Amino acid sequence: MSYKTKNALTGWMFIAVAAILITVFYFYPMFQSLLLSFQSGAGTNLEFVGFANYVRLFSDPTFLTALTNTVIYLLVQVPVMIFFALIISVMLNNDKLKFRGWFRTAIFLPCVTSLVAYSVIFKYLFASDGLVNMALLNTGILQAPIQWLTDPFWAKVLIIIAITWRWTGYNMIFYLSALQNIDKSIYEAAKIDGANAFQSFIKITIPMLKPIILFTTIISTIGTLQLFDEVMNITGGGPGNATLTISQYIYNLSFEYTPNFGYAATVSYAIVVLIVFFSILQFKLVGDKND
Amino acid sequence: MTKLKMGAMYTALTIISLVSIFPFIWMIVSATNRSVDVTRGRIFPGTHIFENLQNLLNQVNLVPALMNSAIIAVGTTVLALFIGSLAGYGFEVYRSKKKDIVFTILLLSMMIPFAALMVPLFRMFASISSVIPFIGIDTLPAVMLPTVATAFLIFFFRQSTKMFPREMIEAGRMDGLSEFGIFLRIYAPTMKTTYAAAAIITFMASWNNYLWPLVVLQSPGNQTIPLLISNLGSSYSPDYGVIMLAIVIATIPTAVIFFFMQKHFVAGMMGSIK
Amino acid sequence: MKKYLVAAGLTATVLLAACGNDGANGAEESTGNEGGDASADSIEVWAWDPNFNIAALEIAKEEYAEINPDVEVMINEFAQDDIIQKLNTGLSAGTGSGLPNIALIEDYRAQSFLQAYPDAFFPLTDFFNEEDFASYKIAPTSLEDEHYAMPFDTGVTGLYIRTDYLEEAGYDPADLQDLDWNEYIEIGRDIKEATGKQLLTVDPNDLGQIRMMIQTAGSWYLEEDGATPNLENNEDLKMAFEIYKTLVDEELGKPISDWSQYLAAFNSGEVASVPTGNWITPSVRAEESQSGNWTVLPFPKLPGADDAVNASNLGGSSWYVLNVDGKETAAEFLSETFGSSEALYEELITEVGALGTYLPAASSDAYQLEDEFFGGQQIISDFAEWSEQIPQVNFGLHTYSIEDVLAVEMQNYLNGKDIDDVLADAQKEAEARLN
Repeated sequence: MSYKTKNALTGWMFIAVAAILITVFYFYPMFQSLLLSFQSGAGTNLEFVGFANYVRLFSDPTFLTALTNTVIYLLVQVPVMIFFALIISVMLNNDKLKFRGWFRTAIFLPCVTSLVAYSVIFKYLFASDGLVNMALLNTGILQAPIQWLTDPFWAKVLIIIAITWRWTGYNMIFYLSALQNIDKSIYEAAKIDGANAFQSFIKITIPMLKPIILFTTIISTIGTLQLFDEVMNITGGGPGNATLTISQYIYNLSFEYTPNFGYAATVSYAIVVLIVFFSILQFKLVGDKND
Repeated sequence: MTKLKMGAMYTALTIISLVSIFPFIWMIVSATNRSVDVTRGRIFPGTHIFENLQNLLNQVNLVPALMNSAIIAVGTTVLALFIGSLAGYGFEVYRSKKKDIVFTILLLSMMIPFAALMVPLFRMFASISSVIPFIGIDTLPAVMLPTVATAFLIFFFRQSTKMFPREMIEAGRMDGLSEFGIFLRIYAPTMKTTYAAAAIITFMASWNNYLWPLVVLQSPGNQTIPLLISNLGSSYSPDYGVIMLAIVIATIPTAVIFFFMQKHFVAGMMGSIK
Repeated sequence: MKKYLVAAGLTATVLLAACGNDGANGAEESTGNEGGDASADSIEVWAWDPNFNIAALEIAKEEYAEINPDVEVMINEFAQDDIIQKLNTGLSAGTGSGLPNIALIEDYRAQSFLQAYPDAFFPLTDFFNEEDFASYKIAPTSLEDEHYAMPFDTGVTGLYIRTDYLEEAGYDPADLQDLDWNEYIEIGRDIKEATGKQLLTVDPNDLGQIRMMIQTAGSWYLEEDGATPNLENNEDLKMAFEIYKTLVDEELGKPISDWSQYLAAFNSGEVASVPTGNWITPSVRAEESQSGNWTVLPFPKLPGADDAVNASNLGGSSWYVLNVDGKETAAEFLSETFGSSEALYEELITEVGALGTYLPAASSDAYQLEDEFFGGQQIISDFAEWSEQIPQVNFGLHTYSIEDVLAVEMQNYLNGKDIDDVLADAQKEAEARLN
């Protein structure tokens, strides 16, 4: 065996276990789910309906509402969160900073906390007579309380606040770990050349972190397009579907209403298509050169 | 950096930390209050923590659930890190056109909502039950298996490997190490911050996993912490003081693990090879 | 390398098992239905709420231990949503594994389960006497002349109201017997003026109040066939929507968005009344300091409907036997306990405060219990009396699906859309969803 073929073979060996497990536990069910998306009916009374579910999708106002909401969350929330996470991790990577461990743990804590509790508390904070409104009223920023939970616009804002609060620390982890892999001497060299902190952030940190920024952007996109927990627990999709997401609609179709697993599978594949679209876009935007 | 800048940084981080931690503090406070006070949003500590603890221990089997969650989370983390880093390394170091295609296909597995996979997956495990009962329905391995190989970790390790200097692999080959030996002896120790990050994330995801354990587990003896918390809320008049206490207890392990793991974020890769 | 081998071995095992999957499937499915071994020495029951359903099960379990000590009853507590998910997943997998012998299911969801999973449930027609139970429980739990459920708790509603607030506003609770919603709102205005307290809570995601209102007039989201949406030109529904809008516009309703806020609103005295199902009693009672300040009035009827009565229903659940091994044993258990034991229902009232729908138990002394929290009112006896008047409606299949449609249109209506358009659009959307 030549060195090259042996090397290629070794490469496949490294990948094999993961590839097999993912095929069994993801692709096989995904295939079943794809078959399901061409069927419709209540529970186990499924009938083959061809593309009828896909046709229904485009005239389904609930799906269109869920799609719009989800895309709004994505476009507003992901960039904001990625930006925050980057800034925070760069600050937390400073050698001179004391209590780094405590700051990091504090900022990471939201994503560890059980959703049940944090949604209960979020609802107190943002109730019409809750602390947030009280603070805003007392400082004169607001004249009348905001109906965070029952107004269609503010409920969306609340969801965006909630996911940003919960997941910024999560993204911070990836940046913090990646920042360790940047050679400190590069920064020192830049300093000698007269670069300030902002310049080295733009010229060194961002380009060095590119692979991880791409990773977190895609992960966050996937997470947001599959957003379920926050909405389910904080607003339940309401008021009147104003915060409904695609994933919650899938849940409703499967468990809340009389189950139609066929149509639910179709909606799931709509998410797959969306994610593929956005991921390709991000790969193209950020670029994925191996150098 | 000037003192002024450092001061601004401390201020900013303190505010962000307070905002992050505030709901958690409130949770701890609520765990010391009666249910009626919790529902009213009382933000001052009460005196009912021992009463709540007593009620919690009476109502549920807290310790076995903690044990189950720990077994699942630790088992999943160890397996997932090994399998994921192996594959991420393989895809990047032995990069080829074909592998890139396989990689892209594997990424697809992240893109479907889990709710859509649940029924077929359940059916698969129901069938496994009759052949190999110890990984079938209502077993802890059944909870772990679908999460030990994830495109997520492969992707993360692959992206991180892009920062790993190739010279070190060549050096390893010169020293006569096998390919797997290079991975184990050079790559893995060098990338320990990446492993630390992956471990935290995986442990947390597994510890908090809800939907799949809910569906696949059944007997009270196999209950995990998130299921237990969900059950505490099953009543028309739930005891929110007890629920908050349970959640605080459930949050501590991940927070502690994080606190110790994040220390590895200081000694970087460059430091470790010196 | 060792780990590597272990992982590979594990994978191989799983793969082998997965390959065996398709072949084994057919055999698996039939075991559930053939019922070769219909009796069993242990049965598993799923239910939610430890203070109510689980407590009732414990009583039944204890009682049954004396009748048939050979059968072990395992009670498994899950949240209601969790049971729905587990049942749906287990039933749609069609393998019969991972399912309990008995499950508690809300009446609104009954038809949905029965029709979506044919042959998944075991008929209980021969295990209890239909006449022994309130008729409004039988229809929703039956399909094609077979009864599939052992009726359990009643969702009979009442108007929980603060007597101290009423008096402050110049009312004598004793005068307020058969209100309609207009009169109720009028009282609400007076209470608000006198005490500054709002009348009740409104939750934009939960239209239970609408459901209760229309059921007083024998109306529902669907036609009597339980399948055709009946929203457009449904005068009762229209009236209910208008009342709801009044509550919101005049700020008589305090907006809330979840259960804990709901409990907080009346436990903290922010709202004067709670119109809902009798199962809320323990939650009202949770605030001991308000003892003596509450009474329960008959539920206000829908104004403008001739046949409306002062009784309605919200929620209520029943026991279902799954068509898996042990079904006979499970059915026997239900038959001997919830199906025929007066003693059990008495104990249910005295120990748990829960009201069943078993009619022969109504003559028991336990029903006459005077409740100090409610100023000495015999609330069980009152609820039992009201429950006999609940108009029977066919919940059909799609309660929660239609309710989501209505919740969206309700928002439009509150924002000024014309009521006839609101209901016409809801009708269109509901029809599109249901076919």
